[in-house]
Amino acid sequence: MSASTEQAPLTPPIAVKPPSPSPNRYKRLTAGTVSANGLLIVLGAAFLVPLLWLVFASFDKTATASLRLPNLSLIHYKHELTGTNLKPFWNSFYIAAVSTIVTTVVALFAGYALSRRHIPFKRTFMLVVLFMSGLPVTILLVPTYQLFVRFNWLDSKFYTSLFIAATSLPFAIWLIKNFIDQVPIELEEAAQIDGAGNFTTMTRVVVPLALPGIIATSMITFIGAWGAFVIPLVLDSNPADTPGSIAIYQFLTANGQVNFGDLAAYSILFAIPVIAIYLLVSRKLSGAFTFAGGIKT
Amino acid sequence: MSAVRFEGVSKLFGPVIAVNELTLDIADGEFLVLVGPSGCGKTTSLRMLAGFERPTYGTVYIDGEPVNTKMPKDRDLAMVFQSYALYPHMTVLKNLSFGLKVRREKRDSIRSQVDDVAKMLDIDMLLERRPSELSGGQRQRVALGRALLRRPKAFLMDEPLSNLDAALRVQMRAEIKRLHERFGITTVYVTHDQIEAMTMGSRIALMNDGLLQQCAAPEEIYDRPANLFSASFIGSPTMSMAPGRLCSEDGVPAIEWLGTRTQVSGEHAAALKRLERESELTIGVRAEDLRWVDDAPASHAVRLSATVDVVEPLGSETLVVAHVADRPLTARFPPRSGVGSGDKVELALHPAHLHLFDARTEQNVLSVGSDQAHTSTPTDNEAALASERS
Amino acid sequence: MDVSTSAVALPPRRRQDKVRFQVSSVGWLLPAIALLAVLFIVPVVYAIFLAFTNLQLLGPHAQSFQFTGTANLSRMFGDSVFWHSLFLTAIFVVASGIVAQTVFGFALALLMQRALPPLRLGIGAIVILAWVLPEISAAFIWYAAGQAGGAISLLTRSPNTNYLSTSAMLIVCIANAWRNTAFSMLVFSAGLRNVPEEVNEAAQLEGAGYWRRLFSVTIPIMRPTIFTNLLLITLATLSDFTLIFAMTQGGPGNDTAILPVYSYIEAFQFNELGYGTAIALALIVLGGLFSLLYVRHLRPELNK
Repeated sequence: MSASTEQAPLTPPIAVKPPSPSPNRYKRLTAGTVSANGLLIVLGAAFLVPLLWLVFASFDKTATASLRLPNLSLIHYKHELTGTNLKPFWNSFYIAAVSTIVTTVVALFAGYALSRRHIPFKRTFMLVVLFMSGLPVTILLVPTYQLFVRFNWLDSKFYTSLFIAATSLPFAIWLIKNFIDQVPIELEEAAQIDGAGNFTTMTRVVVPLALPGIIATSMITFIGAWGAFVIPLVLDSNPADTPGSIAIYQFLTANGQVNFGDLAAYSILFAIPVIAIYLLVSRKLSGAFTFAGGIKT
Repeated sequence: MSAVRFEGVSKLFGPVIAVNELTLDIADGEFLVLVGPSGCGKTTSLRMLAGFERPTYGTVYIDGEPVNTKMPKDRDLAMVFQSYALYPHMTVLKNLSFGLKVRREKRDSIRSQVDDVAKMLDIDMLLERRPSELSGGQRQRVALGRALLRRPKAFLMDEPLSNLDAALRVQMRAEIKRLHERFGITTVYVTHDQIEAMTMGSRIALMNDGLLQQCAAPEEIYDRPANLFSASFIGSPTMSMAPGRLCSEDGVPAIEWLGTRTQVSGEHAAALKRLERESELTIGVRAEDLRWVDDAPASHAVRLSATVDVVEPLGSETLVVAHVADRPLTARFPPRSGVGSGDKVELALHPAHLHLFDARTEQNVLSVGSDQAHTSTPTDNEAALASERS
Repeated sequence: MDVSTSAVALPPRRRQDKVRFQVSSVGWLLPAIALLAVLFIVPVVYAIFLAFTNLQLLGPHAQSFQFTGTANLSRMFGDSVFWHSLFLTAIFVVASGIVAQTVFGFALALLMQRALPPLRLGIGAIVILAWVLPEISAAFIWYAAGQAGGAISLLTRSPNTNYLSTSAMLIVCIANAWRNTAFSMLVFSAGLRNVPEEVNEAAQLEGAGYWRRLFSVTIPIMRPTIFTNLLLITLATLSDFTLIFAMTQGGPGNDTAILPVYSYIEAFQFNELGYGTAIALALIVLGGLFSLLYVRHLRPELNK
């Protein structure tokens, strides 16, 4: 120990705290950031205005095509929330539900086999499946119509739903197969060596773990089927079977003035289920894929 | 009758030979360690035993019965995976009971068995937790518990300790050994860690590049490595190697190496007589057999002049890397020898401690003619233990 | 047996581990194959046949129709409406799909990177909301917007112009871009996140400014993403039916009759099922050509 007191001993600077890192959130207000945010606001406004119009018009007693502050009233919703006006929503629900159930179950079995089993020409098969999901439905309308005529399947909600299921199937198979791929194969090996057969392994191990993905797939299918338009237009002309999408179309193209307020409310009501499901899906998907604790990575 | 047998088992992945004509007998109740560097074929061999891979050639037998075509679920084995493979969506209790439930045992029976095992492994208070809430060591024990509850014909363990920290590893090593002693179930244990192999196995099966290098008790592999690979893989620090040549001095077989001639005697001499004159050899010597002349017993008659390169003080001893005729050798020096880099020192060794390998075949000269390189039958100790169990 | 040497030549024997196809796999795939075969593949094949017939919805050829060879094709090639429709489709795909959605999607993704979090969340939600809204609701919104007195006319200060009569194609393109930009935005956001930060930093150290970095570093790295997205946008836009049909029914006249709409009109309004299918077939061919183009551009990336 030095006896001199002029030189302070070199002790570690315990008292000095390291400067806290500037929070990444609020970056320096550079000209670039300001203009970026400004531009974003402009673009955002451009996207918002049409939506705003829809909402305003639905609450506007004297709604027109113009965007203006609403003359607040619930009258349009009152008009639309009636039995006859809600019937198309039930039809949409029927179609969406039936096709979703069929698609999900069928895609689950196919996706499991494609993911885990050796299938000859699997890659070709998957490529064909992918292609099918991108195929414009237009090409299918006429031949399917003819087929339905021959089998007497026209004007039936059920068979229409079945066809929609078939058109949703390729994408659903693609999605579910990829979700099952993500379940670590070791978990299945562990189940097998524990004595479980194929079906037990699938139901007790794979499906529970791939469930978020399976649910997401079925919800995506539901959203697509809910908005189905041209297929029911062609295959089901029974007025009692009219789904919501076609109902809106009929209001739009009916003779006479379009009642913007009523139709706005109706459109919003029609959109609500789909928006709700989308919110659910995005929440499920973001937290979903951590096989936490099962596999040490 | 052996509990597990590999007979000429080979596995090819495309052009890659992962396992090459493996023939190995594992006795009932034995703890066999399959060890080797990454890619040597040990995990593939284990997986063929489990049934996840099918041998390209050869047959795997369990209790004398060929099982090549048997599904994993019918082989009555239990496996502890490197990544534990616990079902993340099930509680510890459900994880443990899964195998028993699959075999449709009664609920109460399952619960009591699970409780017993959980208590033994010290995880009984974790039964309602999910794997994601457990620490690495706890998950490991659940994986062990799951395997134990199966009461299988054999345990298969695929590097179960590699994901644990050092302290935990030592603890679990002892625990696994204790479990083996208590239950006596045949265990095939795969690891890349030679220390684990030496401490845990009753026999070690050393593999490299798909080939079985040597299968013997740890001491035997250490004292009598069958080839260059076994010699350098087992033992820390690694055995020092130097090239040499067979010659004779005064009619006695000798080796010419490191600029000097060393006479050999005993079994080395007899073995060398069988070789061609002037054969190229590789000579190996372990660090503890190469001593400082000031610290060596009188029997260490062979002297080598060396120049120190690196001194590694370990506290209880000091490892000195020195070169003799441009060849680096590692020697064990006493803890405070005062030797430093650049110093000239005399090293002493006893010729019987040398390991002589044919430079071309890489085989230990002593193993030619013996069945050292083939799978050896379990040691007498193990067989006795096994018969006690049954 | 010498087990210590490395390469042991194995005698030619029959392998035991050929991966075999399990018959039970068929069971798993059967429902999917059945459904797809009957309601997808069969119609597609049937469509290719019908495109060359004179099948009608009503009329003499509804019950008994004949194979007419290339008659529909000649009719198509001589049909000025068809060529107009093809032209409109190209405009629709290129302007509203490829250009608008890619540019706006990319711009939004870039801006989001620098945005304040509340702004990022809020505007992201709005853009995505436009995408999640059912097509028919979106169609209605833009139908109103294009009317005399609607948002567009107010913007251009000519409140008496019904843009759906005068520039229907423009409105339709805007509507489509508005609705689908969200997808490109999400794809590009993900793609931007995958551009390694170090590359950007290295470029910065070398003195490259923002725009330089964008065009010389970021965009080239994102090439596969961009092309894949282009392919997806093209296919989706080619299939688009509901939005346009609900808004304009292809009109006024044939001003917005892109191929899917024209095909439907010919088939189910003019009862010419065979001819309508031929038009649909032309659409498929167009889609196939676009796909080939993209795949060829993508192939070098895919092979990496």
